[in-house]
Amino acid sequence: MTTLVVARWTVAEAVSRRLVLAAVLLSVAFVGVFGLAFSILYARAEADTSEGALFPVFAATLLTVLGLYAVQFLAAFLALLLSAGAISGEAESGTLHAVLARPLGRAQYLMGRWIASVALLTVYVVAMAGSLLLIARAVAGYQPVDPVRAVALLVLETILLLSAGLLGSSFLPTLANAVVLFSLFGLAWMGGIVEFIGQTVANQTLVNLGVVVSLVFPSDAVWRAASYYLQPPLFLGEAVTRGGIPMAALTPPTTALLLWVLAYPVVTLLAALRTFARRDL
Amino acid sequence: MADRVEADPGRRAPEAGPPGTGAPALALELAGVHKRYGRQVALDDVTLRVEPGEVFGFLGPNGAGKTTAVKILTGLVHASAGEARVLGRPAGEPAARRRIGYLPEHFRFQDWAAGTALLDFHGRLAGVPAAQRPARIAEVLELVGLAGRGGQRIRTYSKGMSQRIGLAQALIGRPELVLLDEPTSALDPVGRREVRDLIGGLRAQGVTVFLNSHLLSEVELVCDRVAVIDRGRVVRSGRLADLVGSATALRVVVDRVDPPLLEALGRYGRVRSVEGGSLTLLVDDVEVAAAVADCTVRAGYRLFQLVPVQRSLEEAFLGLVHGGDR
Repeated sequence: MTTLVVARWTVAEAVSRRLVLAAVLLSVAFVGVFGLAFSILYARAEADTSEGALFPVFAATLLTVLGLYAVQFLAAFLALLLSAGAISGEAESGTLHAVLARPLGRAQYLMGRWIASVALLTVYVVAMAGSLLLIARAVAGYQPVDPVRAVALLVLETILLLSAGLLGSSFLPTLANAVVLFSLFGLAWMGGIVEFIGQTVANQTLVNLGVVVSLVFPSDAVWRAASYYLQPPLFLGEAVTRGGIPMAALTPPTTALLLWVLAYPVVTLLAALRTFARRDL
Repeated sequence: MADRVEADPGRRAPEAGPPGTGAPALALELAGVHKRYGRQVALDDVTLRVEPGEVFGFLGPNGAGKTTAVKILTGLVHASAGEARVLGRPAGEPAARRRIGYLPEHFRFQDWAAGTALLDFHGRLAGVPAAQRPARIAEVLELVGLAGRGGQRIRTYSKGMSQRIGLAQALIGRPELVLLDEPTSALDPVGRREVRDLIGGLRAQGVTVFLNSHLLSEVELVCDRVAVIDRGRVVRSGRLADLVGSATALRVVVDRVDPPLLEALGRYGRVRSVEGGSLTLLVDDVEVAAAVADCTVRAGYRLFQLVPVQRSLEEAFLGLVHGGDR
């Protein structure tokens, strides 16, 4: 019960600080720009017959994947911003002390904040990714492999980042935590690129390097898992021989990877609860 | 403000003490509590007992360990060794925290919220039933002198108003024990007076108050018992009257002060300060005044004044602690 009181309070804070309003306005603008650009570019691709019959499909896929790639970045930043100072910031400002002297466990407090942030991020990702996919479908009849699974994985990526952020926030000052989180996120992004290049030039060392980075911080790995389901089967079939999009996977995620990215937020959240419970405030 | 504090018929009886003793549990107890932050010792073997219904002053210079002690009692900080109990339960247990109110030292509340929203949040966490919450919020706002200001965002509050909303927050759950960490540091003299009256009102209701303060006059006016802490150690505790009266002084004004006089008076007490023909003699009992007078006159000095001086809490305090901010 008290967990939900904290969750409600966290959502009230996001609304009151105009975080929600800003996100909604900018998201509407983002979706609007995407819709306009997608319509114009797709119309040109359809009109251009010199590139072959599959060209419109390629164009629609590229545009959709790029749009969702941007959504993924925005959602990731939102998750990191929500979590970077979730504990340390409140502890530094002293707002935490009165709350935690109440009869609620620290785990309940942390879970309340986690649930509220997950709810906000889920709404954001579903609304944004859903809008882009619906626009692509309406304009170009875009049919990805599995849009529901793709969006679920995008949500999972934000949960993963949020949990890692809370873990950092349970023992690092806000700014240090933010630096660490963005560095790890950047590292994971580079690991994904390295792995893609390794596969393209058939260099196992590069591939292994990318895999190791993904194990350490699997944010890009979850995006790549989602990206497979975002592309239409027709595109994937052709891309295997002709080369795909650098930031998207051509093969479905392995079960091992899925288990790892599901376990990752659970483990980091448990570690955050443990660290937070022992900390002196 | 105090006259608006009404007795609460729904107040729970104090929790029973250890089985078999039949005595009510202490309001709070620290037994041999140590706290180290790395190599820094914050609390060194602190033992304190506060009875239910007492107003207890915890005094010490800044950095002496007052806040650490309160944080251990509220479960925010874990003791390195020793035991802390609140209302008969281990400190930090949710059941113990249900019945306490706490005003943190550097409280800064979520300033994006309105005063009533903050009190509603804390009321929910403290377990105030939904049906009673609006009335209780209005009641505590009135109690701290913020009636009609609850709708404003905390961001727009003055420093004094923030401290008042902090007090309201501490009282929202009808606590049996209130821990106040420097509750008047941001208040003007009128506000301080109101807080003293508020504490008096709580005492009248049987609420135990644990007051951390470095403002001695405040403690002097409101506390039943005090403990003085310095560098993490309790250097003195007891009834305020005992603490202040434990060493009284005599002011002696004579025609001349010279070594033979100091030696002669040294038999009756400790000479603390000499200014011209005036000196202060710290004695155990003012009854020695007659003997002091006798001795002075017999030794050939002219005695102009011999006045017993009651030591103020401030003097007692300064005699106990190592000078102020470090």
